Amino acid sequence: MVTMPPDPDDATIRALQEKALASMERHDARVLVLDITAVDTVDSYFARTISETAQMVSLMGGRTVVAGMQPAVAVTATQLGLAFRRVETALSVDRALDLVSAPGERGRWR
Amino acid sequence: MSPHDERELAIEDEGDVVAARQMVRQAAQAVGFGVTDTTRIVTAASELTRNICNHAGAGVMRVRSIDEDGRSAIELEFVDQGPGIPDVAQAMEEGYSTSGGLGLGLPGSKRLMDEMEVESAVGRGTTVRVRKWLKA
Repeated sequence: MVTMPPDPDDATIRALQEKALASMERHDARVLVLDITAVDTVDSYFARTISETAQMVSLMGGRTVVAGMQPAVAVTATQLGLAFRRVETALSVDRALDLVSAPGERGRWR
Repeated sequence: MSPHDERELAIEDEGDVVAARQMVRQAAQAVGFGVTDTTRIVTAASELTRNICNHAGAGVMRVRSIDEDGRSAIELEFVDQGPGIPDVAQAMEEGYSTSGGLGLGLPGSKRLMDEMEVESAVGRGTTVRVRKWLKA
């Protein structure tokens, strides 16, 4: 699980991407949960990096769940036209963990 | 923020995107915008600051509040001396990108704000001005 800081700069986003992929391998993880509860701005760069990360995780045989998007961020992301491809979503980290622990319950890809 | 209180930020690299967001967030809250509109305004600022980094390399952002007929707005101005946009109408189209991005920058920011003006001259640079009005 990776918890994003409230207002990450591009370098932080890239560093977290690398760290997430490395720890997927190290821990033999099947699911990456991206906790964005604290994040108050998601722009096209952030969204693209999340989608790319999910693509990479998918190539490694894993799933990506983005958890905890704030309502204002969801409204803005939709109006801006952001697409989160290959990403499953959950209302909160708790819900994300429910989602990934339920066998055969695979969220829909967007 | 009073109408006279204009803030300016030099945009030189990606690192300034965060500074731009913080300046705009503070200004939007000072004008009185709620959390959803503040998020829209800050996100538009993020996209337009990135546009400058990607296309012009450097530029400046100006943030000001406007009071007109008892209504308040926030106005953001992004000015660069970059290559300019040969076809502004095309740049406003969804999915059109010359930088390998998603092409959401201008049309997406326009949707998040109430008004947008783009002035551009090839070889001279581009000015993008956006406004959002505080709903009474």
